[in-house]
Amino acid sequence: MKVMVCLKQVPHQDARLDVAADGSWIQEDNIKFEINSYDTYALEEALRAKDAGEAEVVVVSIGPDRVTQALRTALGMGADRAVHVKDPEADASDSLGKAKILAAIAKQEEPDVIYCGLMADDGNFSAIPPMLAELAGMPSATGVISSEASDTSITVRRELEGGCREVVELPRPCLLAIQTGANQVRYASLKGIMQAKKKPVDVKTAADLGVGEQVGAGAAKVKINKIYIPPKSDQAELLEGSTDEIVTQLVGKIRELGVL
Amino acid sequence: MISFGMTEEQELVRDGMREFAADAIRPIARECDENSAIPDEFLQGIWELGLTSTQIPEQYGGGGEDRSPVTNAILLEELAHGDATLAVAALAPSAFANAVVDQGSEEQKQKYLPLFGGEKFHVGSLAVLEPRPVADAMLPRTVAEPKGGDGFVLSGVKSFVAFGDRASHFIVVARTGENVEAFVVARDASGLTISEPELNMGLKGLTTVSLELERVEVAAADRLGGEAGCDVRRLLDSSRAALCAVQVGVARAVLEYCVPYAKDRVAFDEPISKKQSIAFRLSDMHIEIEAMRLLSWKTASLLEQGIDATKAAQLARGYVAEKGLWIADNGIQVLGGHGFIREHPVEMWFRNARTLGVLEGTIGL
Repeated sequence: MKVMVCLKQVPHQDARLDVAADGSWIQEDNIKFEINSYDTYALEEALRAKDAGEAEVVVVSIGPDRVTQALRTALGMGADRAVHVKDPEADASDSLGKAKILAAIAKQEEPDVIYCGLMADDGNFSAIPPMLAELAGMPSATGVISSEASDTSITVRRELEGGCREVVELPRPCLLAIQTGANQVRYASLKGIMQAKKKPVDVKTAADLGVGEQVGAGAAKVKINKIYIPPKSDQAELLEGSTDEIVTQLVGKIRELGVL
Repeated sequence: MISFGMTEEQELVRDGMREFAADAIRPIARECDENSAIPDEFLQGIWELGLTSTQIPEQYGGGGEDRSPVTNAILLEELAHGDATLAVAALAPSAFANAVVDQGSEEQKQKYLPLFGGEKFHVGSLAVLEPRPVADAMLPRTVAEPKGGDGFVLSGVKSFVAFGDRASHFIVVARTGENVEAFVVARDASGLTISEPELNMGLKGLTTVSLELERVEVAAADRLGGEAGCDVRRLLDSSRAALCAVQVGVARAVLEYCVPYAKDRVAFDEPISKKQSIAFRLSDMHIEIEAMRLLSWKTASLLEQGIDATKAAQLARGYVAEKGLWIADNGIQVLGGHGFIREHPVEMWFRNARTLGVLEGTIGL
């Protein structure tokens, strides 16, 4: 069995974030990065599949040189090899562009299962897993909190609203988007870290994957116009009274604003 | 040229151990200190990181990776940044295993190293210190007398032996006439008495014991290195390099706790970090940590290159022990009244720094 894990490297949760001068993204110079927290659970789920039997775990990421460290960390945790799409034009892609790149890798690798994190800590789009599944022609499940594989299928539990759970069976190959807290993520062992340097990291560009024309800023359908930190305001008004009274006051104020 | 840039592998080790220390060490440090005990689950968890087994040659059941004292110094600083007690506990098995890897006879390597390659936590200990007012570890009062043609008879007392309650074997440093040698002694050896846990000021979670050796007989093959013997100074150099790295980690923990505290704590209408007396103090603490780390890394680098590191180790040990304590003391001062109450960890770090300062060579000697 072969499994593919999509990893994104995101700013470290403790990093101080400043908006770049052109307002298009944050300043990435001199901040630490880490593997997207959702993706660590996806990786752990894949490594558990490996622990349970014969499986090759291939980790895949798109990004500049710094992404190598995320891939080496994943290799240190137990992944077998890595594919690094290092291509400035690919970096500028929107979610669909990146999903096309990942789909091209999936076409080459032919994995039995693709594991993704449910979303990314930085962008919060949650877009790539379902896009990738569609492009790769695979069924998918999102919000996965556990999975159990048989010879031909995978049964997963999904997290729904209100504390509900849903059990879904998917034929393989398929894609699973993993929720945080789905498992206890392992630490990279010293042996794993030292062996990571000997494991192969295959560096590719979008052109190598045959999707050079379909990705990048020019092909993007979604463009981030600006990111900003909302200005602080001291105009908050606290409503007091019973719940009914507060709701009545609130509705009145909304009507005053002409929203209703 | 000297480069202080880390290799990619060292950066991964640093980041991985930093994460482990933050998630799995720091949160239980106070509990271990209060209970004077380390949970089995922790020891097993850190064992599974392979800190000891990874660098044991494959033919003896280890991971077969190269051993790097510099990487180990980086690793230890990170673990000790979480907690010194648990860092020392994590690396205690390595002190025994590395001594056998470096200086053991082929027979000793085959006999003892596979014990450290298994899946379950296993520990052996170095027995160097003695409960007497002579600080030189190279002048032990414990003696090893030749035993009628084959083997030795050990007599003496050793103290502050880490994990004496769990260790399967001890490497006991003893004098053989004019020379100083080391011997592997099994915990069930006849004539060996292991004391109840010692009551210590710091590193409280780590059980230490005294060993009383009353005519303990060991075979000639139990002398570390066999007929060739071993270089006890090298054993001590490695141990001292490791302790230096631990103390750097403790000092960094103190500073990194004090800086945000000083920025947050307001006195006389402004954060105390704005007061020069505090700002200069924090700045000096930072400078000293850098100096401590450089001395620590120099010793580790010499060991890595196979160059005599005895002088560097002793210089580093003296400086790091003294400044580490100075930093912990200043940490308490920055926190003021909060510095000595248990709600904050700095008093615990101070006790640990004080204890690290007297292990294997006291400050000023």
